Amino acid sequence: MPRRIDTYLKDLVAEEKFAFYESVRDFADAEIAPKLLHWEREHVLVPDECIQRMGEMGLFGLPIAETYGGQGGDHTDLVLMGLAVAYHSQSVAITPGAALSLGAKPLQLCGTEAQKRAHLPDLATGKRMFAFGLSEPGRGSDAANPEVTAVKKGSGWVISGEKCWATNAHWASHVVVHALTNTNGPNGKRSTCFIVPRNQKGVFYQEMKGKKVWEQSSTGSVMFDNVEVPHEAILGAENDGFKVMVTTLNGGRLFIAALALGSLAFALDKCRVYAEERIQFDNKPIGRFQRVQDVIVDMDIALERGLTWLLHCCRLYDQDRLSREQAAKVKVDCSRTASDLLVLAMEICGGVSCFDEFGLIRHHNDLFVTRVGEGSNFALKDLIVRPLRGN
Amino acid sequence: MDIVVCIKRVPATDAAIKIAADGKSIETAGVSYELNAYDEFALEQALRIKEQLGAGSVTVVTLGPKEAQKELRDALARGADKAVLLVTDKWVYDTYSASATLANWLKSVPCTLVLCGRQAVDADNNQFAPALAARLGFGCVTEVSKLTLADATFTAERDIEGAREVVVCKAPAVLSCNKGLNEPRYANLKGIMAAKKKPYEEVAAQVIAPAMAIESLTLPPARAAGRIVGNGADAVPALITALRQEAKAL
Repeated sequence: MPRRIDTYLKDLVAEEKFAFYESVRDFADAEIAPKLLHWEREHVLVPDECIQRMGEMGLFGLPIAETYGGQGGDHTDLVLMGLAVAYHSQSVAITPGAALSLGAKPLQLCGTEAQKRAHLPDLATGKRMFAFGLSEPGRGSDAANPEVTAVKKGSGWVISGEKCWATNAHWASHVVVHALTNTNGPNGKRSTCFIVPRNQKGVFYQEMKGKKVWEQSSTGSVMFDNVEVPHEAILGAENDGFKVMVTTLNGGRLFIAALALGSLAFALDKCRVYAEERIQFDNKPIGRFQRVQDVIVDMDIALERGLTWLLHCCRLYDQDRLSREQAAKVKVDCSRTASDLLVLAMEICGGVSCFDEFGLIRHHNDLFVTRVGEGSNFALKDLIVRPLRGN
Repeated sequence: MDIVVCIKRVPATDAAIKIAADGKSIETAGVSYELNAYDEFALEQALRIKEQLGAGSVTVVTLGPKEAQKELRDALARGADKAVLLVTDKWVYDTYSASATLANWLKSVPCTLVLCGRQAVDADNNQFAPALAARLGFGCVTEVSKLTLADATFTAERDIEGAREVVVCKAPAVLSCNKGLNEPRYANLKGIMAAKKKPYEEVAAQVIAPAMAIESLTLPPARAAGRIVGNGADAVPALITALRQEAKAL
C-alpha cells in the first residue's frame, strides 16, 4: 500500500525535491528500519556506521552552501529529510536534523567567514558536529537568562557552569555555549554565544542516561569548569547571544514539526493496514466500523493539513520571512495533534501496540519530545499570544 | 572507458500483479514501478570503474515507455553522465527482441563495456547479457559477484554450484551483475540537482519484432492452507513422511 504521506508530498513540493525525499525514504527503508529494533533492544545510540552512511548521502550538509562543501539545498530539503527518516525513527532523524538546525545553523547565520571556513566543510559531511548548549539544569523555557557565565580575562573569556539536554553531545566536536556576559544589560542583550571545543581543558561531557524517548539520539550534559577561550570564539556579536539563539530556534521548530508529522504518517499507514486486516464481529475488518474510520480520517486530515502548513512555513523561512509566532504555531499544532492521535491509533490496534516491533509505541514516546523540545508548547503559546494582545 | 549501463523499469516487487483482460499481459493500472534491483549493482559498478580510472563516461539506456524517464533521472542523480530513453509503448517481453534492439543502438554509440543486471525481475528471463554480447561480438561474463580491474583486465568472480568461478576478460565485454557485487549508492540532493543539467535524450526505438509470442498468462495457484502434523519430537516422523510423499521436498 503506497504511503499516504507520499501522495501529499508529491503535490506539495517541486519534482526534484520529491525525488530527493524518495531517495532518503528508500535509504531509511533499507538502512535504518531493519536495524531499529536491534538498536532499541540493545539501548545503543545511532551507530557510527549509520552516521557515516548519512554523511555520505549528504544528509548533514543539506542546507549548507556548496562552496562550504554542503549540498546547496534549503530548509525545505531538511524538513523533507526529517519526514522521510522520522517515518521510522525520530531519534535517527534528529541526529542530522539537530546537527544542522541547531549545530550548523547559528554558524551559517552569525559566524565570521573564518569560522565558516574552519567548520562548515566538516559539519556538512558529518565528520564533525556542533551541539547547541542552551538549556541548563535551572533554565529551560527561560533560556534567555543563562546561569552559565563567561567572564572577560585578558584578551579572552572564562566560561563556567553546566548545560544539559544538548542533542548530539556524544558526537559533538564543539559546543555552542550560550552564556551570561552582561548581567545588568537590557533584556535580550545579556548573553553571548561561544564556540567551545568539546575536548578543551575543563569541558566535561556526560550522556544523560535513562531517557526513554528518542532513545538512539544522544542527549548530553556538558560541564564547563573555568574553560578559557579566545575572543575569536564568540559566535555573532558580544551580548547578542539571545538573537543567535532565537534565530536558530525558528528553523529548529519547523524540523520538530516534521518529526511529529513523520510519526503521524507512520501511524496512519499502520492503522490503515491493521484496520483492514483485523477481522472481528461477523467476519468484518474493523476498518468497517465508523468509530475506527473516524480516527483514521482524523489522522489523514491532520497529516495533509500539517504538511501543507509546514511546507508553507519552510518557504517563508527560506525567504527569511517567517515570524517567530508562525514557527511556534506550526510546531505546537503538529506536535500536539500528532501525539493526541497516536494514542487513539494505538487504541485501534489494541494490545499489539504495546510491542516494540509494531512501532507505534516508539512514535508515541518520541512524540512527547516534540511537545516539549525546542520550546515547550506551553511556553510557545506565550509567544503566540503576544500579537493577539496588541502589544 | 565508455561504459553503457542497460537498465529496466519493472513493476515494484511488492506490487500485486493482475492479468489484463486480454489474458496475455499484465494489468498496468495501479502498478508502481521501480528500477530493476540488479541494475542498481550494474550502475554502481560502472560509476566505480569510472572513478577508479579517473576518466571515461557512463551512459544509462533503457528501452521502455516515456515514464521510464524517472528511472533514468535517478541514474543521472546517482552519477551517470548521460541517459538515453529508447521510447516504445510496446511491451518488449522477450530477450531476442530486447537484445537485438539494444545491440543496434549500441553499435551507433561509443561503447567498450556494457553492464546490466543479471536479470530483470519482471520476466526473469536471465538471457539478456549473453544475447547482447553475441550480437555485439563482445566477451561476456554473467552473474558477476566480485569484479576488479587492473592493467586493462577484468577479473570477475561468479557463484556456481558449490563453488566460485574466477574469469578473466578484457574489454569489449558485457558483464551481468549479481547481488553482493557492491553496495549501490543513493542519490543525494546535489546529484539530483546536477542531474537536471546532464544530457538526456529520447529516441523513438526501432524495436525488432519478437521471436516469441505469449499465448496466455496465469497467476500461480493460491497457496493451500498449512497443516499441523503434530507437536514435539513425536511428530517428526510424520512431518518427514509428509515432506517426502506430499510436498516432495525431500
